[in-house]
Amino acid sequence: MDPHSPSLSRDTPVREYIDTTLTALLHQLSLPPADSHPAISLKRRPSPASCTINPSNRALEEIPGVQVQRIYSWPGRTAYEAWRFTVVIRVLSIIEQAMRTGRAISKRDIYYIDPEYFRSQTVVDGVIDDLAYTIGVDRTALHVVRPVSFSNFDSQETLIPQIEDVDKIDISGVRWVLVVEKEAVFQRLARSSYHLNAGKGYPDLCTRRFLSRLSDTAAPNLPFYALVDGDPDGVAIMSTYKYGSAAHAHNNSRMSIPRLQWLGLRVTDAIAAVDSVEDGVLLSLTARDRKKIVAMLRNSPVLASNGPELGWRAELQRMLMLNIKAEIEILYEQEKGLEGWIDQEMSRQTH
Amino acid sequence: MSKQYLTWGSADNAHPIDIFSLAVTDKHILSASGASSLKVHSTTDTDFPLVQSIDDAHKVGCHHIVTDTKGQRAASAGFEGDIKIWSCQEGNWSADSVITANLTAADAWAIALSQDGQYLAGATQDGHIKVWDLNAEGTQIRDHETKGSFGTCIDLSSDGRFIASGHENGAVYIFSTETGRMPFSLSGLVKPVRAVSFSPGGKLLAAAGDSKVIVLYDTSSGEQVANLSGHSAWIMSLAWSHTGEYLLSGSFDGKVKVWSIDTKLCVATHSETEKALWSVKWLPKTGKTEGFATAGANRSLSFYREATGG
Repeated sequence: MDPHSPSLSRDTPVREYIDTTLTALLHQLSLPPADSHPAISLKRRPSPASCTINPSNRALEEIPGVQVQRIYSWPGRTAYEAWRFTVVIRVLSIIEQAMRTGRAISKRDIYYIDPEYFRSQTVVDGVIDDLAYTIGVDRTALHVVRPVSFSNFDSQETLIPQIEDVDKIDISGVRWVLVVEKEAVFQRLARSSYHLNAGKGYPDLCTRRFLSRLSDTAAPNLPFYALVDGDPDGVAIMSTYKYGSAAHAHNNSRMSIPRLQWLGLRVTDAIAAVDSVEDGVLLSLTARDRKKIVAMLRNSPVLASNGPELGWRAELQRMLMLNIKAEIEILYEQEKGLEGWIDQEMSRQTH
Repeated sequence: MSKQYLTWGSADNAHPIDIFSLAVTDKHILSASGASSLKVHSTTDTDFPLVQSIDDAHKVGCHHIVTDTKGQRAASAGFEGDIKIWSCQEGNWSADSVITANLTAADAWAIALSQDGQYLAGATQDGHIKVWDLNAEGTQIRDHETKGSFGTCIDLSSDGRFIASGHENGAVYIFSTETGRMPFSLSGLVKPVRAVSFSPGGKLLAAAGDSKVIVLYDTSSGEQVANLSGHSAWIMSLAWSHTGEYLLSGSFDGKVKVWSIDTKLCVATHSETEKALWSVKWLPKTGKTEGFATAGANRSLSFYREATGG
């Protein structure tokens, strides 16, 4: 087991801390204003001067009894204090969400969620490190990742490494790379010893940077496939991996995967899949789906009728025509199963 | 008695992307696709040459195009919800901007035009059936409410007295245009209906879709009179021959079939491709020869004519 992998038991102290802290805050907020004193206290990390070598394990540790607490309260005495308080809450909620969805996030990603609000990367780093220190866990337990060793690429629990920290990517022996939209699908494939890379939902910058770098260093004929839902979000996610997002236009050149090809799921695949099983049903598009497709067709240069991805455009229009969408899970019921379908589709697209 | 149809030519890659709809006049075949242009090919010349390209008609693409029988008026519906009216003078199609402007809030998905070009009928995504009088600059004159299921297809009877609509939930309705009443809600299809079409005399209504079966209804009683089985994929498009003797159907696996209404049997099956056929249409009769056109995901128009046996 990779020591950096999050696991249920490692989540427990963090979850307890978050629950206790948020419950206490809610309790405070429910009191009359005069009696209400919402506050969070974090242990300050020791400075080198307050540390010593523990003689029993030869590790640098804090000198007992000199611990300093820092208290962040609301509304505080100044606007600055109020802001510090909200930063802690915000970071806690991001971590809570990462834990809940089982994904990892980097300090950088957290900062880029709202750079204006956090003001600087240092602020985010400080809060994360203080939180980890207060709870008494290391930062990865907060699902905030730094690089992990890249050797267990095929292990289902391996986190996406931060690319700056990977010296060399060796993917010799890899026949293809598969980018999967959904965690659940990824888990199912990982169990069947597929070598792949799972982004989950809309990719974070770290994942995109990593895959882009992987593509840059891979042999030119190594195929990269995307397996996404046959719905507007699936196509938008694939488009973000391949071309980047408008929000990070200045960085897209470092984060695109020009060779990415669409493995599925197309409307025609989905129709064939439901036809092969008794009473198979396809989902109808929601009003939001239809609006989103039209907006994508109207606004995305990738999907324009003179753009590079006419096939994607056509597929979105077919969804509108038929008013259906297709989730990857529909392939589970196939006679060949999900893996069988993937094998067949890869071989079809290669030949 | 099987019939023979021969390949009559094609307009290859007429559009850069799926052709979703065809409309036929006495001289032209109009095609609409996921690209922004509408194309007009001549049907008077058996080379079917392109005679006009209406560029930037629908920015996000067009899914329905319909015409009157005289070839003077056409209507097209785009993916953005935009409906445009076109008129043809001396063989050249141009936008009718006044009526088009009045239809900006029309909100119809499937559309049909009466044979004389006066009435435009539309089925909306929330299951309303609406009618506009194009001779009164596009004034809305009817708004029928159904059970709210997506209106996927619509047709007007040739005498203009009835409208039929097909819906995602399998419902098929017939409305009287005179009274605005709904005499029939037709049973028989449970899966999404993709095509409805009145026979030339209006006695029969054909409906089909994901159930892969074509159901024929008697429009005076609402009774189901026949099931035509044979397609092995979703049926996307239906068209009656001029005499009402034959019915044409196109399916999602690229097959086009001709059915004899007399025997209720499939008399011919053709396919150029395994890709979806979105639209099939009979061509105007040239002499005694009957022919038809198909189009779909292979981006081309394919033409067939009856083998005359001599």
